[in-house]
Amino acid sequence: MASFTQTLRRVRVKPNYETIAWKWMRYSAFAMIPLVWGHMILQDVIVGVHRIDLDYVAMRWASLFWRIYDALLLGFAFAHGVNGLRQVLNNFIHGDRARKVMNWLLFLFWLVITLIGGAALIAGVNRAFPLP
Amino acid sequence: MEVRVRVFRFNPEVDRRPRYDVFTVEAEPMDRVLDLLEYIRGDIDGTLSFRRSCGHGICGSDAMRINGRNMLACKALVKNFGTNEITIEPLLGLRVLKDLIVDMEPFFEHYRSVLPYLINDEPLPEDGRERLQSPAERERFDDTTKCILCAACTTSCPSFWADGRYVGPAAIVNAHRFIFDSRDRGAAQRLEILNQQMGVWRCRTAFNCTEACPREIKITQAIAEVKRAIQTGRLD
Repeated sequence: MASFTQTLRRVRVKPNYETIAWKWMRYSAFAMIPLVWGHMILQDVIVGVHRIDLDYVAMRWASLFWRIYDALLLGFAFAHGVNGLRQVLNNFIHGDRARKVMNWLLFLFWLVITLIGGAALIAGVNRAFPLP
Repeated sequence: MEVRVRVFRFNPEVDRRPRYDVFTVEAEPMDRVLDLLEYIRGDIDGTLSFRRSCGHGICGSDAMRINGRNMLACKALVKNFGTNEITIEPLLGLRVLKDLIVDMEPFFEHYRSVLPYLINDEPLPEDGRERLQSPAERERFDDTTKCILCAACTTSCPSFWADGRYVGPAAIVNAHRFIFDSRDRGAAQRLEILNQQMGVWRCRTAFNCTEACPREIKITQAIAEVKRAIQTGRLD
């Protein structure tokens, strides 16, 4: 009678940009489930979009918790979105050179918006809270 | 019953652009679309071109777009369409050579690129005979052994339509068949190939391939397993 030995097979595949981007999409999506839901319920349901003004932002960013919350949202959601955009544009831009240009443009777009968002989060609203 | 068959026609030697010819055919509900095509070619218009071979869903020659969906003409019964109008077109994403015949070479080039054969340079077992495998080990890749290379999956994939350099579901399925085979030693090589930009990462899990497969292979699942193998290195 034949006997079998089951061996665990493992290989090592060198990670590249695509592997990391794919992983990033998954992890950031998991992180965004509570972050985006929390953000939407607070801004759209509890507060309401018509009551969001500079005073409200000053009040919100007076708390370090909300600044960190918004920083995480910016970090995860925007990079997730820009990578998604890269995937979509890949369907339309086929040349290697054009793709390289597209990747750099998207990277710069991501960097500039993230820096502006980051600067706003760190600097906060230049107004004391509670407001006079 | 009377069936109105609209057939895509294009002869590059004569036509400047494709057209649709309409044939009215007397058919039984249990007739296959392949029977309709055979009748048209035999009795109405002998210039109609299409591929066929076994006529029993095994050779994979007669994959085509029937009422907008990829399927084998030999497995598509007239009664299952629920209409008397049947439109037959060539597979999308591959160059039309004539009528319903497409150039399959790009498809087979992708297939060859994933090394779809057993790789094992280790010495043979002591008895010099087969490399044995447990039923569980065989079961691991059973589903993907069923592929008949008809190209119905690859040519239903939006990522492949967008960029023909994408290796496509059929090639990944055939890579899966060997990657998870306990006797094979070429998994790292194949995973390296599929880890490129035009490899598995172009799959957007649209599930068109799974729906189109005439062999009912769980293609999207097989692709996900290959993605996981690349990420984790685990082949069990």
